[in-house]
Amino acid sequence: MDFELNMEQREIVKAAREFAEGEFDPQLAMELEKAHQFPFDIRKKACQLGFIGIHFPEEYGGQGYGIFENALIVEEFCRRDSGIGSAVVLSDFSSEIIMRFGSDAQKKAYLPKVASGEYISGGGYTEPDHGSDITFMNTTAVKDGDTYVINGSKTFITNGGIARFLIVLCQTDENASPTYRGQSTFIVPTDSEGFEAVEIEDKMGLRMTSTSEIYLNNVRVPAENLIGKYGRGFYQVLEFFDESRVEIAAQALGIAQGALDRAVAYIKERSQFGRKIAAFQVNQHKAADMATRVELARLIVYKAAWNYDKGRIDPVLTSMAKMTAGRTAVEVCDEAIQMHGGYGYIMENEVERFYRDAKITEIYEGTREIQKNTIASTLVGRFK
Amino acid sequence: MEKIAVWVEHRQNEIRDITFEMLGKAHQLVGDGGQVIALFLGDPSQKGLLDKITPHAHRTVAYLDSNLKDFEPLRYQAAFADIFEKVDCQLILMGQTAFGMDFAPAVAARWEIPFTTDIVDVEVDGGLIAVRQMYSGKVSAKVSLKEADKMLCTVRAGAFPAEDLPTVSGEVQEITGAVEGDFSARAFVEYLEAAVGDVDITQADVIVSVGRGIKDADNIPVAQELADALGGVVACSRPVADKKWLPKERQVGTSGKTVKPKVYIALGISGAFQHQAGMKNAGTIIAVNKDPKAPIFGIAHYGIVDDLFKVVPALTEKVKELRGWGNSDK
Amino acid sequence: MDIIVCIKRVPETAEADLVIDASKKAIDTDGLVFSINEWDNYAVEAAIQLKESVGGTITVISVGPEENNEVLRRALAMGADEALRLTDPAFEGSDAYAMAKILAAAVKDIPHDLILTGVQADDDGFGAVGVALAQMLGLPYAALVTDIQLDGETLTVHRELEGGLEEVDTLKLPALLTIQTGINEPRYVSIMGIRRVARKEIGVKGAGDLGLSEEAVGAKGSLSRIEELFFPPVGEGAEIIEGTMDEKTEALVKILKERGGIA
Ligand SMILES: Cc1cc2nc3c(=O)[nH]c(=O)nc-3n(C[C@@H](O)[C@H](O)[C@H](O)COP(=O)(O)OP(=O)(O)OC[C@H]3O[C@@H](n4cnc5c(N)ncnc54)[C@H](O)[C@@H]3O)c2cc1C
Ligand SMILES: Cc1cc2nc3c(=O)[nH]c(=O)nc-3n(C[C@H](O)[C@H](O)[C@H](O)COP(=O)(O)OP(=O)(O)OC[C@H]3O[C@@H](n4cnc5c(N)ncnc54)[C@H](O)[C@@H]3O)c2cc1C
Ligand SMILES: Cc1cc2nc3c(=O)[nH]c(=O)nc-3n(C[C@H](O)[C@H](O)[C@H](O)COP(=O)(O)OP(=O)(O)OC[C@H]3O[C@@H](n4cnc5c(N)ncnc54)[C@H](O)[C@@H]3O)c2cc1C
Repeated sequence: MDFELNMEQREIVKAAREFAEGEFDPQLAMELEKAHQFPFDIRKKACQLGFIGIHFPEEYGGQGYGIFENALIVEEFCRRDSGIGSAVVLSDFSSEIIMRFGSDAQKKAYLPKVASGEYISGGGYTEPDHGSDITFMNTTAVKDGDTYVINGSKTFITNGGIARFLIVLCQTDENASPTYRGQSTFIVPTDSEGFEAVEIEDKMGLRMTSTSEIYLNNVRVPAENLIGKYGRGFYQVLEFFDESRVEIAAQALGIAQGALDRAVAYIKERSQFGRKIAAFQVNQHKAADMATRVELARLIVYKAAWNYDKGRIDPVLTSMAKMTAGRTAVEVCDEAIQMHGGYGYIMENEVERFYRDAKITEIYEGTREIQKNTIASTLVGRFK
Repeated sequence: MEKIAVWVEHRQNEIRDITFEMLGKAHQLVGDGGQVIALFLGDPSQKGLLDKITPHAHRTVAYLDSNLKDFEPLRYQAAFADIFEKVDCQLILMGQTAFGMDFAPAVAARWEIPFTTDIVDVEVDGGLIAVRQMYSGKVSAKVSLKEADKMLCTVRAGAFPAEDLPTVSGEVQEITGAVEGDFSARAFVEYLEAAVGDVDITQADVIVSVGRGIKDADNIPVAQELADALGGVVACSRPVADKKWLPKERQVGTSGKTVKPKVYIALGISGAFQHQAGMKNAGTIIAVNKDPKAPIFGIAHYGIVDDLFKVVPALTEKVKELRGWGNSDK
Repeated sequence: MDIIVCIKRVPETAEADLVIDASKKAIDTDGLVFSINEWDNYAVEAAIQLKESVGGTITVISVGPEENNEVLRRALAMGADEALRLTDPAFEGSDAYAMAKILAAAVKDIPHDLILTGVQADDDGFGAVGVALAQMLGLPYAALVTDIQLDGETLTVHRELEGGLEEVDTLKLPALLTIQTGINEPRYVSIMGIRRVARKEIGVKGAGDLGLSEEAVGAKGSLSRIEELFFPPVGEGAEIIEGTMDEKTEALVKILKERGGIA
């Protein structure tokens, strides 16, 4: 048992911190937030320095580290700025499906370009009628010669408006039983004819990230864009969730830590009733509780990441990590705003944004309830 | 301490102020009956500069050599070696300046002279205790020097006043130097005058100056808006110029400009002495800094301990209101 | 071109509340974040840029405990080739002069055309190690360097003087330069860099390995000693304006009006 980061991991944390402190400027964040702009320049620099795709194998343009090291970067980036951090770290979203299940040719064609910053990626699973339950997809892919023709729509797709390609989960056999055995994933270039992304303009948080509705109207992709085995799409996506949930958990952890940092700094600065508000024990206790919760979240997130890299893929632990970190982020941000009083409620203030950005971590990549279902079904078994 | 030698620092045919500051302190330290010795190395054509020095030194040792017009450390050291034995003193003072920082540690190392640098005070009571600052002025240190025939300190510019120098009837000892050897390993080429920018901060009545606390180039407009409202200009501390957030001509301090506006507003500047040297004579100094212990509060007339990003926009707003520039879309 | 860069690990203190420790000779560094001395970071970058243009090797050296590996590894990840840490109980209490002796003993064994140090350390700030080191090694040197051009065996450098004035000098290699901040834009550490040097060993040498006697270094080998630290009286000049933000800015406007601050 060893709770220390190793030397390289500590160096990665430091490098990520220095980069984030140097580049993620609060004023810039505010402008991007208001303009709903993706931080393209910062992402490009992050890619050049190897922060994105750190967990891709070296031969595919990555750095050959694990999802643990990726989680460390995600944590540091989101700690410094929930908005810029989230946008940057999500810019390779779903590329892991290619990495884990794709052919060598697919990996070579896409992963190096994602890591280098040329491509932004995304994944389309959610549909207007299928969110938590993706066992059946209305989006279909039908083979036609050496192409597949895709029709349907997806919603809430991160990077939908800026990605170069999306991984799209389609129903390839509507009669399969169970239905999810008739699903497959495809690489869909966003410049394909019949592909349309419509930006969902107003959302609570993640305002520097593009979130879109996707319309696929007779989109033709070459047959070699099928990822892995025909009919295995659902399984791939579930397995992908085992690692993507760790990333989202790390995002939540970073946001929580960032809110805690700001709250502690604020109570030491603000005076009321003739003394610093840090002198009120209630604020000290709040800080202590928040710090404890953040540390608990860190322990489980790190454990889940570490396990994954050891090849022990454990959906229960991953779900626990995501659920814990997400709740921690929301509650710590809530308390951070409380400690800031009225100033915390104002948009000029970073904790306000952290709060809004925190909430998504309890929704996407499986809601909190879905995580509980996953944990419970293993713990208690399935009851109908 | 009976005998103290002061290194006469000159450049481009001018004696630098630090020399007089050191002469003043030296007089105070030797007291009545002691001796202040001025050490001058230079070109024979620069002899006229001595007129300003000799009245304030009991003895002036002038080593004149036609190759010593501009500072070249290797050549200067060789010249100094010629007279080192003849300079009978217990303490040598040099400036903690671009000259002294390039010369003093080498002299000390060559002759193993106990030394310390950048002192702001010195006491002689048995041994020598120098006071110097550390951690950018947040902490002071008393430093003792090992007992020796000669000691050396470099003195911070502005640490001692140059006024009211005692006048003594000093003798001049002229030595015609002939430093031999090949010193081309480090050769002086030329001076480069500071670039002139679009804004001349030395002419401004109101300066809003930003330090590292401004955090990023993108935040400069926060200060610019205040400066605009006040009818002033924006200047900066060194890190801001180093990072190219503002051009070098806007830098205030020893290696930048010296300014004397009516009002100097220091935002997120800790107040390192190199910065202070450039602005301490401003009419009114106002500092905004999060850290109540920042040395800038030591020389400011008014201070606000708070986040500049809260204070400045609020202040700008107030000034605009006063001017009737109120925000129309408000 | 073979370059040696001397780097120090220092606490970040600009925004920290400093506490003088019980010995009264040092500050309490518990809880402070340490990093590479700012000047030295510029020096490392300067070395890397020279190496990128003419080739060669870069060796970074730091005197201090195992924690100093942090800054050495950082410099390796930025682009240095070798790292050496000098440590020995005998080094304790070294002043700038003794520090220069330690470094001089170490660089003698390493091929070098150029040695770079920072102008000064962020913490103690003696601003003396580089020039003293040059003297001990008998190298031509220049302090406060803000620009470096290399032409064969000759360096043309700019030195920063007072008031924005600069001086141009030429130096013959081998030489030593003390680097001033702002000379370049130090790069970020990349993950590629960290990976490249992950298995790199950092050499360690003590007084014995360097042929230094215990008397030559540390407090015994020093010419000066820190006797006591104390807080300078601050705030004596400034009248601190208190109150709500509104009251504070109101007071400021009044002062500005009175003092000619509204031009
Ligand atoms: C516990 C303790 C006790 C001390 N006691 C004394 C004392 O009694 N007397 C005293 O004078 N000082 C003392 N010091 C401080 C002393 O060790 C200084 O670090 C030393 O005097 C060098 O001065 P500086 O760091 O200001 O270097 P500067 O001359 O300001 O530094 C210039 C450059 O020298 C190089 N350099 C400096 N230090 C190192 C290093 N460690 N490794 C590699 N390169 C380096 C860097 O390139 C740096 O940019 C003490 C320090 C500690 C922690
Ligand atoms: C900003 C943003 C970005 C997103 N990015 C992507 C993306 O890139 N790719 C993508 O495919 N999707 C993305 N999503 C979609 C996201 O994954 C879904 O919104 C999420 O999975 C929930 O699905 P739903 O919205 O349909 O909610 P529903 O499934 O309708 O859930 C509504 C409520 O019912 C609960 N519930 C549902 N089923 C159960 C059950 N069995 N037991 C208990 N409670 C249950 C849920 O927990 C929730 O509280 C994104 C969403 C947002 C808001
Ligand atoms: C040879 C030499 C020459 C030099 N010449 C010069 C020179 O000409 N001019 C010069 O300026 N420096 C010069 N320096 C550098 C000098 O030593 C200091 O390093 C420098 O002045 C520090 O700049 P700073 O105060 O902006 O930064 P720091 O010392 O880092 O201080 C930043 C300050 O901002 C405060 N702060 C941070 N955030 C906020 C916020 N949100 N609101 C309010 N306050 C905040 C912090 O509390 C801190 O006090 C020189 C150094 C050397 C060695």
